[in-house]
Amino acid sequence: MISFELNGKAVEVDVSLDTPLLWVMRDHLKLKGTKFGCGMGLCGACSMLIDGVSTRTCILPIAAVANRKVTTIEGLGNPQMLSTLQQAWVENSVPQCGYCQSGQLISASALLNSNPNPSDQQIDDAMSGNICRCGTYPNIKKAIKAAAGQQLGVQTFDPSQPREGAEV
Amino acid sequence: MSMNNSNASRRGFLKNSLFAAGGLVVGVPLSACATASNANSDGKNFVPDAFIQITPDNVVHFYMPRSEMGQGTYTGLTTIIAEELDVDPATIQIHHVGAGDEFTNPEAGIQITGGSNSIRVHFDPLRQAAANARAGILNAAAQQMALDVSVLTTNNAQVIAKGQAFNYSEFVTLAAKKDLPTDAKLKSPKDYKYMGKDRPRLDGVSKSTGTAQFGLDVDFPGLQRAVLVRCPVAGGSVASVNDSQALKMPGVKKIVTIYNGVAVVAESYWQAKQAAATLDVTWNKPEKLASFSSDTGKKWFEDALKGEDLEDAHEEGEGEDGLATAHKVVSAQYWAPYLAHSTMEPLNCTVRIENGKCDVWVGCQSPGVAQGLAARITGLSKDDVTVHSTFLGGGFGRRVYSDYVAEATAIARESGLAVQLIWSREDDTRHDYYRPASLADFKVGLDKDGSIESWNVKRAGPNTMPYFLDQLVDGKAPGFMPTGLVDWLSKRGYGLFDGLSVDESSVEGLFEDYDSQHKHVQHVTVDPGLPVGFWRSVGHSFSGYFKESMMDEVAHAVQQDPVAYRLAHTKNNPNLNGALKLVAEKSNWGKNLPSNHFHGVAAHNSFMSSVAQVAQVSVEGNQIKIHKITCVVDCGFVVNPDIVKAQMKSGIIFALTAALYGEITLKDGAVQQSNFHDYAIMRMNETPEIDVHIVQSDAAPTGVGEPGVPPVAAAVANAVFAATGKRLRSLPLKLS
Repeated sequence: MISFELNGKAVEVDVSLDTPLLWVMRDHLKLKGTKFGCGMGLCGACSMLIDGVSTRTCILPIAAVANRKVTTIEGLGNPQMLSTLQQAWVENSVPQCGYCQSGQLISASALLNSNPNPSDQQIDDAMSGNICRCGTYPNIKKAIKAAAGQQLGVQTFDPSQPREGAEV
Repeated sequence: MSMNNSNASRRGFLKNSLFAAGGLVVGVPLSACATASNANSDGKNFVPDAFIQITPDNVVHFYMPRSEMGQGTYTGLTTIIAEELDVDPATIQIHHVGAGDEFTNPEAGIQITGGSNSIRVHFDPLRQAAANARAGILNAAAQQMALDVSVLTTNNAQVIAKGQAFNYSEFVTLAAKKDLPTDAKLKSPKDYKYMGKDRPRLDGVSKSTGTAQFGLDVDFPGLQRAVLVRCPVAGGSVASVNDSQALKMPGVKKIVTIYNGVAVVAESYWQAKQAAATLDVTWNKPEKLASFSSDTGKKWFEDALKGEDLEDAHEEGEGEDGLATAHKVVSAQYWAPYLAHSTMEPLNCTVRIENGKCDVWVGCQSPGVAQGLAARITGLSKDDVTVHSTFLGGGFGRRVYSDYVAEATAIARESGLAVQLIWSREDDTRHDYYRPASLADFKVGLDKDGSIESWNVKRAGPNTMPYFLDQLVDGKAPGFMPTGLVDWLSKRGYGLFDGLSVDESSVEGLFEDYDSQHKHVQHVTVDPGLPVGFWRSVGHSFSGYFKESMMDEVAHAVQQDPVAYRLAHTKNNPNLNGALKLVAEKSNWGKNLPSNHFHGVAAHNSFMSSVAQVAQVSVEGNQIKIHKITCVVDCGFVVNPDIVKAQMKSGIIFALTAALYGEITLKDGAVQQSNFHDYAIMRMNETPEIDVHIVQSDAAPTGVGEPGVPPVAAAVANAVFAATGKRLRSLPLKLS
């Protein structure tokens, strides 16, 4: 039995300890927002935040997340309450086929949490582990900059509302 | 998107729960000559093709006949309807449709999303249908309120009468009882509220929150996961299998042998994959393909071009005889390798066979073929096979094919279990319908002024159509045809087709664009037997590189500017000429370049659109660095400029991957690449700045999803020539 925190809630799963976190999420916990792309940690479609760090979960055994904090795309926001980053994604029409975007948003969110105003080079460095076959990179970059600007500028914080975006 | 059990037949479709919600249902004939009709009547002769429904809660529903794989038709087609219906597109509920003859692509003759034609072929019929529906609502409102229709207007799903607003839904019951107008006046472009404007994609929210449903996300109680081990050489079958160890592995439910491999069915994907790795399978390999290796196989293509088996594909003027009068002849040979599609969502399909019915959940480009294949494999009638469509995690032509649907259905049938077949990335890289490898020989004859008077090209390589036809025969053969005959036709598909004519997609784009008094195109089929298929822009994916590199060689051979030389040879090709002029202006062609930066140009017509591109490149050692691509597209009227620009960038990045990295090679018939470490995809840090300009046009819309691809490799190669004097005549582009 492995216990960890998933999107702010404690969960326990009883699976073989070598099962990758990705498949625990999809097949056992039935959270389908995180995607399978390559199975080798090469494309980033399976990215989740583990204690705030964007991590490839298709090669991460479930045993490795015992007692740690895991955030999936479902933990960033939802259609009724988009995070600042997701709002920027929508406004800039980032997704095309959309399949890789959960992973892209996880990596972008990790970047902005650690660096609220990244340079082009820093965006490239943080995002180049995530492949997009549709070639949405230019719009991803635009959206990250837009979100960064908002976070620096006019962002308001209402303490009565749960914080959008990942727990920090 | 949800797992409803709507019957796929038209009558069943009309009766399904959503339509049962009532209101006004408008059928949209997708063929250009027909007009929209009121589908509420049970008239026997009326066969609508797509549907608009306005329910009593004043929600507009759109049953979308094409698949959304990233190209943006979900937003584009809905925007077209919204404009004429006068409804905010963001409020329209869009439904993926399953398989049905009513959703046939009018140009393809089958239900397929491809050929960059979704906006082009549906633009007029959808507008007219929506305009007719709005007019029908206005007529009903006039009657209900005893007002003259001329005093009524609309605004966002409401009828405005004497300053008061009434929901469309208040009038749809009456409108449904009346005949709809068939030729309602269409809006003038100056009155467009939604079309022609940058607007956010309608699938943006679901795809930014992980809530968009892809095929891989389908799940229900009792569903098992399947992994299939296939013969490394395409077309092989199982000779023997030892599954004793796999059967003992945790979670394994069944191990079954099907026509092309051995499938492990288990409770979860990870369990199935672990067990599959322990299978010991020996294979019957197809001899011809097993004898083909890339390091020696290129000779097959070279020999064929020298041989006697060339067929005429196209001739103008005096054909090759035109060369006799040439003042100078420029010759060169070009090569492009096999390529994989590598959609981000690995192929997958979910099948449940229960109580004489078969349900198929799949995101694909041809649901009708999927339905037919599932019917054939289960032995059920097509009416008993329901296809539930989802979003596609990338298509690029790969999901036109239904091989994974056939596999999943066979596994479900043999195991007696509901299964979701999931391909690994390795499966995807090694069992594709690849972009065909191609070799082309050019001979271009010039007159004494250096102008082209004779354009001659020969192409050797496999043809895509026979492989598509093979599935089409299996999936679309009429029900009355005996299975034995379908089997025979299917096996003969290749030969039957090949005898008829040269496959257009094998030579398209090699010869059309430039003015030349004489033209001659010849073709010879060389096919080791590796399945090939439609890969974003199809034949243009290699012919754009070949033709545009060759054109550059010719311009340099007569010391002329590559842009000016192209302009001089596009007098009969005004759109391409215009795109070239604009791209030269926008890129500052040849001017103000940073030191060590060089420009290369390429232009190509495909899918009825014209695209011109300039690449800005530097070379350090043997490293090609691409700094910027400037792109001009003329694709007629644009429904959503932002999506068109995104598609151009998408096509360019897709083509840059092919230009710099893409190469599938074989060893003894088996594909050697497997995953993104040895089949690289361009990443953000490698992506150049891309600047897209759209030619303003009131002409009918033309293709967008594919035309950005063909010129890219040539624009880069031509810039590399400008930088180094080295002509790269083989893809991927490598300086050594």
